[in-house]
Amino acid sequence: MAIASLRGLSYWYPGQARPALAEVDLEVGDGLTLVAGPSGGGKSSLLRCFNGLVPHFYGGRIKGGGEVAGLDLLTTPTRRLARAVGFVFQNPEAQLVSPVVEGEVAFGLENLAMPRREMRRRVEAALSAVGGLALRQRRVTTLSGGERQLVALASVLAMEPRLVVLDEPTSQLDPEGAAAVIGALAGLPSVVLAEHRLDGLAALATRQLTVEEGRVREGISTSRAPEPRRPRAPGGVAWRLEGVAAGPAGPLLAGIDLVGREGEVVALTGPNGGGKTTLLRTLAGLLKPLAGRVIRRSGRTAYLPQDPGVLLHRPTVRAEVELTLRRSGSGELAQVVLGEMGLLELAGRYPRDLSAGERQRAAIAAVVAGSPALALLDEPTRGMDPAAARRLRDVVDRLAGEGCAVVLATHDRELVEAVADRVLTVSGGEVR
Amino acid sequence: MPNPRAVAAWSLAGLVLAAGWSNPLTRLLVALSGLAFVGLRHRRGVRLRGVLFFLAAAWAGTALLNVLLSHLGNDVFLTLPGWLPLAGGTLTLEALAYGLVAGLGLVATVLTVLPLSVCLEPQDLLVALPGPLHRTGAALSASLNLVPGIARGYLAIQEAQRMRGWRPGLRSLPEVMIPALLTAMEDSIQLAEAMEARGYGGGPRTSYASQPWTWRDSGVALGALAAVGLVLAQPPPTWLAYPALTPPALNLAGLAACLLLLLPVFLWRSPASAA
Repeated sequence: MAIASLRGLSYWYPGQARPALAEVDLEVGDGLTLVAGPSGGGKSSLLRCFNGLVPHFYGGRIKGGGEVAGLDLLTTPTRRLARAVGFVFQNPEAQLVSPVVEGEVAFGLENLAMPRREMRRRVEAALSAVGGLALRQRRVTTLSGGERQLVALASVLAMEPRLVVLDEPTSQLDPEGAAAVIGALAGLPSVVLAEHRLDGLAALATRQLTVEEGRVREGISTSRAPEPRRPRAPGGVAWRLEGVAAGPAGPLLAGIDLVGREGEVVALTGPNGGGKTTLLRTLAGLLKPLAGRVIRRSGRTAYLPQDPGVLLHRPTVRAEVELTLRRSGSGELAQVVLGEMGLLELAGRYPRDLSAGERQRAAIAAVVAGSPALALLDEPTRGMDPAAARRLRDVVDRLAGEGCAVVLATHDRELVEAVADRVLTVSGGEVR
Repeated sequence: MPNPRAVAAWSLAGLVLAAGWSNPLTRLLVALSGLAFVGLRHRRGVRLRGVLFFLAAAWAGTALLNVLLSHLGNDVFLTLPGWLPLAGGTLTLEALAYGLVAGLGLVATVLTVLPLSVCLEPQDLLVALPGPLHRTGAALSASLNLVPGIARGYLAIQEAQRMRGWRPGLRSLPEVMIPALLTAMEDSIQLAEAMEARGYGGGPRTSYASQPWTWRDSGVALGALAAVGLVLAQPPPTWLAYPALTPPALNLAGLAACLLLLLPVFLWRSPASAA
């Protein structure tokens, strides 16, 4: 029996002429429904229909109709639908309401006006269902991204929903955190899950859907195997760390000696909190080393921070790229890098209206424009679909070919295999 | 943990003091006690640098605008050529003094409300709200998150833009301020969305953890009440279009009221050490 159904549903965000969803007919039943598709294709919009965030929270225009657990989606407010549908968002930082884990898990129950004794029981049950009972008294700010997503899932399970919807819950996690979240989904009666990285998930799915240009179709096309790597010939020394100790507050890394060459791609891997970002920021000159020396070859350093939102502030994607080109005094055309990142069609759009994956591409185009001498990219494939990840690999190849020294911090094994000349593991204050 | 209702009482008293007495000394003392409260008793992980920078800029901006635009008063310290639009003419010490006092009022007002945002967890404030205000609560908690959010984002954004060739300066400030504001707003909206998706805002609510009212809370609330009483017992201030350039009179009642506002610093431990 279907738990949720959408009938002839079309949806337009406020002020948009093109529908985000077009004529969607869909029934969701038991088991794991896996949703894939390119960034900006309509995955997030589709998922938000199931708890009424589309259209109640976002506004806009909607046609057609739908039901979840016998509730009409167009006339039932989200706060009522929340009893039947649990929702886990993409960003582990911005969806937790309470300072302490158990309070967080209880938040939905408080909204159901449940007596305190029953709340205690449910909080405990939900935390143990995700294997997170030990986190109960922890402060949310001390949790890793993976732990946060587990807590978000537990908070949803505590409300005992009929359907659990997750929007790219693992895209910002390290492989360990992602595995814990996926593992916690086993045994749930019905789940809808959108994700780009499908490895391991496809085997668990009872049904696979693709959302592209607002339309839903059955099946997921699996990505091609990456092309074989072209060998590179690294040149002279481009950067060097000599006996460096670094950290934002006290030494997180110590005694680091490393050298990178022109045209060489170095990948930094390792767990969250291990020091990858600290190493990149030290190399960029943003973080003064506590000891030792950092030497960089002359020329511009491109730096992609983990959150693309901190970069984007111009009215269009093209203007973002042009700003960097103007500042670096480069004669390069914005068109070139926009084309490389597949952004020509989005060039006139406001960057902050884009989907998470599209934003990431815009941010990359904005930093690598204008032939940098050194490119430092922190989690560049975060939230990216496979097609965009391939474009990034081509850009990294091109940069290295022009003699740019590239350093990537990433969890993405495919990216490492496809572009890295050297892999370093940053963990527990050491680099190996 | 301070009880949110006691913090709200403190904020209210501070507002009455800052608004009720235009005496610059009182405003200064209210601002200083607000500064002491948020500075010493803010919750763990809150960064105040951005907010304080904002306040300093707002104060300086108000004073500067008043000096340049008002031209009223007798004590001229500079005469700008007349062809300058708006600013041209005499610049007076009176205008500067008025701008400084007005700006100080602004700063004091913000500092009295700031503890609600930085000394309490947003969740505690939500729970403390009376039932009918819960819808407002979602909006409130989203906006209270905004100020610390801006401060959090500011450093990361400054770094990222510096790597794109940004250099600090008045004209380039928007390049950092706009993303800081937008990122904080997006986070706030995302939080509101997450709250909605978990059933917030629909009628009656129970609470998982109790918020005990301790004798320390009583102390702060009584102090706030007494401070308001001291203000109300005073004759209403005579309204002056522009302050005379004489030092403001030291008002004992005002001084006592401001000292009462310092109670939170002595009575409450900071949430960080309590956790």
